Amino acid sequence: MTLTTPAKAPPREGRWRALGLRADVRNLSLLGVLAVLIVVGGLTRPAEFLATSNLQLVLTQASVIGVVTVGMTFVITSGGIDLSVGAIVALASVWATTLATQEFGFAGILFTAVAVGLGCGLVNGVLVAYGGMVPFIATLAMLASARGLALQITDGKTQIVTVPSVLDLGLPDAYVLGIPPLVLVFAAVTVAGWLLLNRTTFGRRTIAVGGNPEAARLAGIDVRRQRLFLYLLSGLCCGIAAFLLVVLAGSGQNTNGNLYELDAIAAAIIGGTLLSGGRGTIVGSVLGVLVFTTITNIFALNNLQSDVQQIAKGAIIVAAVLLQRRTVRDGT
Amino acid sequence: MPEHPPSLLTMSGITKSFPGVRALDGVDLEVAPGEVHCLLGQNGAGKSTLIKVLAGAHQPDEGRITWNGAPVRLRSPSAAVRLGIATIYQELDLVEGLSVAENVHLGHEPTTGGFVRTREARQTTAALLERLGHPEIDPARRVGELSAAQRQIVSMARALSHDVRLIVMDEPSAALDPDEVANLFRIVADLTADGVAVVYISHRLEEIRRIGDRVTVLKDGRAVARGLPAATTPTREVVALMTGRDVPYVFPERPTRPPTAEPVLRVQGLARKGEFEALDLELRPGEIVGLAGLVGSGRSEILETVYGARKPTAGRVTVDGRPLRPGSVPAAVAAGLGLAPEERKAQGLLLLESVTRNVSVSSLARFSRAGWIDRATERETARTATRTLSLRPDLPDAPVRTLSGGNQQKAVLARWLLRGCRVLLLDEPTRGVDVGARAELYAVIRGLADDGLAVLLVSSEVPEVLGLADRVLVLREGRVVHQAPARDLDEHRVLDLVMEGSPAV
Amino acid sequence: MPETSRRHLLLGGAAVSAGALLTACTSNEPKNQSPVGSAAPAADDKPGTPVTIGFAGPQADHGWLNAINDNAERRAKTYSDVTLEITEGSNDTATQIGQVQTLINKKVDVLVILPADGKALTQIGLQAMKAGIPVINLDRIFASPQAYRCWIGGDNYGMGLNAGNFIGEQLKDKPNATVVELAGMDSLELTKQRTQGFDDALKNYPNIRKVARQAADFTVESGQAKMAQLLQAQPKFDALWNHDDDQGVGALRAVAQAGRKDFLMVGGAGAKSAMDAIKADTGVLKATVLYPPTMAASAIDLARALGQKKGVGGMSELEIPASITLYSAVVTKENVDEYLPTGFS
Repeated sequence: MTLTTPAKAPPREGRWRALGLRADVRNLSLLGVLAVLIVVGGLTRPAEFLATSNLQLVLTQASVIGVVTVGMTFVITSGGIDLSVGAIVALASVWATTLATQEFGFAGILFTAVAVGLGCGLVNGVLVAYGGMVPFIATLAMLASARGLALQITDGKTQIVTVPSVLDLGLPDAYVLGIPPLVLVFAAVTVAGWLLLNRTTFGRRTIAVGGNPEAARLAGIDVRRQRLFLYLLSGLCCGIAAFLLVVLAGSGQNTNGNLYELDAIAAAIIGGTLLSGGRGTIVGSVLGVLVFTTITNIFALNNLQSDVQQIAKGAIIVAAVLLQRRTVRDGT
Repeated sequence: MPEHPPSLLTMSGITKSFPGVRALDGVDLEVAPGEVHCLLGQNGAGKSTLIKVLAGAHQPDEGRITWNGAPVRLRSPSAAVRLGIATIYQELDLVEGLSVAENVHLGHEPTTGGFVRTREARQTTAALLERLGHPEIDPARRVGELSAAQRQIVSMARALSHDVRLIVMDEPSAALDPDEVANLFRIVADLTADGVAVVYISHRLEEIRRIGDRVTVLKDGRAVARGLPAATTPTREVVALMTGRDVPYVFPERPTRPPTAEPVLRVQGLARKGEFEALDLELRPGEIVGLAGLVGSGRSEILETVYGARKPTAGRVTVDGRPLRPGSVPAAVAAGLGLAPEERKAQGLLLLESVTRNVSVSSLARFSRAGWIDRATERETARTATRTLSLRPDLPDAPVRTLSGGNQQKAVLARWLLRGCRVLLLDEPTRGVDVGARAELYAVIRGLADDGLAVLLVSSEVPEVLGLADRVLVLREGRVVHQAPARDLDEHRVLDLVMEGSPAV
Repeated sequence: MPETSRRHLLLGGAAVSAGALLTACTSNEPKNQSPVGSAAPAADDKPGTPVTIGFAGPQADHGWLNAINDNAERRAKTYSDVTLEITEGSNDTATQIGQVQTLINKKVDVLVILPADGKALTQIGLQAMKAGIPVINLDRIFASPQAYRCWIGGDNYGMGLNAGNFIGEQLKDKPNATVVELAGMDSLELTKQRTQGFDDALKNYPNIRKVARQAADFTVESGQAKMAQLLQAQPKFDALWNHDDDQGVGALRAVAQAGRKDFLMVGGAGAKSAMDAIKADTGVLKATVLYPPTMAASAIDLARALGQKKGVGGMSELEIPASITLYSAVVTKENVDEYLPTGFS
């Protein structure tokens, strides 16, 4: 047999490696957007925009939605969606700030926020993985019930936190080497998320389930268990985010986390995670969050009003996605 | 046919590049009215790109197209349809949620003031289906409820619903049974009798001999032979043109002594209501057992049930005497089973991922500690597996979708080789694999058996089952009707068995 | 596998106890109930003809709206001759129309309606009036005066005006003074009115300039976020006018986080937390301009008076006025004790 003659010369090995890095090219284009924003901010309000305090501000404001987005990135990468993140943040933050919880102090608030997040994630996961519900519907139901429960707990009232150790965590005295603790948590979640997605079997299975659930199942992956864990993970991130929000706002309110689901999905998608699943990038998602937060910051510094902000935000989403498509265009 | 008919379609110097790949490199194609023009070539030779150019789905970088002697540009699929060019793709493009009639008239519904004249649409559809020899398909049924073969007919009806002069058929027989293939040939004959030209793409040389007039062979984006007479060109020559090799179907030697080890897999009374009944089966290490039967005989269902992807209604599967948890793929994989599924792209591969990750996906625990993947080890062990199977190109980081069909199949096999699986279930392992690569794949499969794997093989191509398997189980309507060593059977006998009791073709 | 089952048991136990602890943690019962409602009822409180009052309001997802419901219910309970039919609050116009419809069918004597959207619910007000049921329109005004017998509500323009005047008086001797504004939800008419009143008041003080305005959306979270940005944008200013005390909780948090103390802040609406801070006088918050939820209690008084065909005590009119606009009082350290009982949380 003359099987050894290759049909054509094999392409150089490096090319495929380069192709494998395409997700990172997306990130580069988003970095470009961020760079443009920084130039705009630096030109319009140099003294205020380029100050250390502003960097602290932008990163702090990004940290709550950023943690949510890391969880969302996993869910979307697996081909799912979690519409309930904002509602879970609301529920976890109000549950963690009731008078009864506050009696347990710092640990009680932290534990409750995380446990409520995990609990909601567990319900989502069981409904999707074992109840056979479409993620969109299951998490939409969770959105409605969690918001309702949050309203019931608060009775529409603002629950002010009086635990000093929690409040102090948001004040400048708690900064570690100039870095706010909230930002440290955000950074830690980002690094952990990146490692989990890119370096562990959990991440690999997530990508496989999102890329081709049937192939993943036939390859021996327990797809249902994986899905359960993914919604748990998203719930966990919501719980952590809820705690950060309690620290940031010094209170719990049932209106917390308003439209987080849309912000998190938008940040993940412009970051380069495929809405259809199978490809996800934590770095991209975090850059997406930073782009949004920076836009808000620049607009506020320039005293632009909400109507202009919203129009420009929509335009920038479209521009960022178009720019990415130009950067990564290639014929399948 | 006249010796030099005026050509209906002439494509000359068609060139089309994608980033990094020159898919077509100056291809010429000339089709006469009323002829069946066959397009041959290995996967990746440029056939798909060429028919997409012809369908208006791709714009060529260079080259000219003339239609009835006049130069044309096919700017969009609808432009091609307006000229009378219809394309039936291999992956059928029907809308499952719509009815047969709605699919047939999709995009050109008969309307009055924006309202579809449903009755007229159904009547014309019924007439088309009648003409195609399938009056039993109800135009009002949802396409999602139809069988694969029926969908193909609907797809064809859609093509014929336009005023069509040229039909492109991309592997139309791939999903069909022999009697359905016969019907397909009759339709093609009817069409050509009406002066319609057919561009016919198939891997099956015997089909091309039966219905083809002329053959154009593509290789690496070039037409290496044009207008060869389909009936008289020697197979050897065609294969040589396609592959540079001259051996189409070579089956590896069977081992001289039959395997004597204890069976590794035992299937007892396995059944799934409505699909197959009371199957008994034993599989020894080193042995290849083939399941032969028509589409719908329960072949794939049996494999998937043994594998735990479907839950049996009765019976059990044991590996080394230990019963498997029914309906659990993870349990089957843990016990040493592996499946290469029928729909490689839809069920087997993670198309967005690299070769390495496709191979390693079932063995992640092997190179990870506490969930942490050692990626260097992963890449190297995966590469060892792909090299063992001579997967080409030898690029672990290449996206698996860039591989040819045969090499994609090897990636799936390498996955189970790496996993150290002991029973391999192969469902249509050579579907979509071109002729040249098949022999190599056969050798790989036999090699795996020689290394002690037990292989259960399903194929709709009887020669493949007979040539590759040691033992053959013949299935008809979910029941084993005969069982014998492969060397005691021939194709004719097997076809008799699978169709026994059914009317002759 | 004993090991797994023990692990499961442990996990299960942990989950159960966590659940029990969590369930206990939903309680929000404060140790001592804060009083809501104000001094003496406006109409005389001698029992008269029994009156059934139908009450329909939006969903109480916000401290102020919650206080509205509380005030209405508590006031109704103080009258032995009043029965209150209260509907489940809803922000959906169609739902609210249905709810009012039901109250009309039940033939209540008087209706008190706080519409989710005043314009959109005008028709149902007209319908009730035609059916002979007088309507007290609470706060968000119907499009037509025929849709209500009496309107009682707050004064958004007046809030802005009084906030502006208070700030103006504090800063009138300071040359080149600057102020910033943290507005409420920009999509609401009332936000525009509050801003307009504020701007008009500042025109009386040529030494004061408004240098920045950002809109939050009445939530603590948005108040913190927008205030943090404002503080970064304006490293120095003299006064802040914040439209809403709920978002003010977040704004104060942002102020603390930025470590700023160099300005005075005026809030709006009259939340208890704001009044407590004013009373303590340890931070930047020096005053809040009322938008009193006690208007709901007054609405119940008016409804009862209408039902019993009486006028308003203390006025010489025989009839109840067609429209009552509440005064947006400025609560400061000096008078806070007087208002503290009306503060809502």
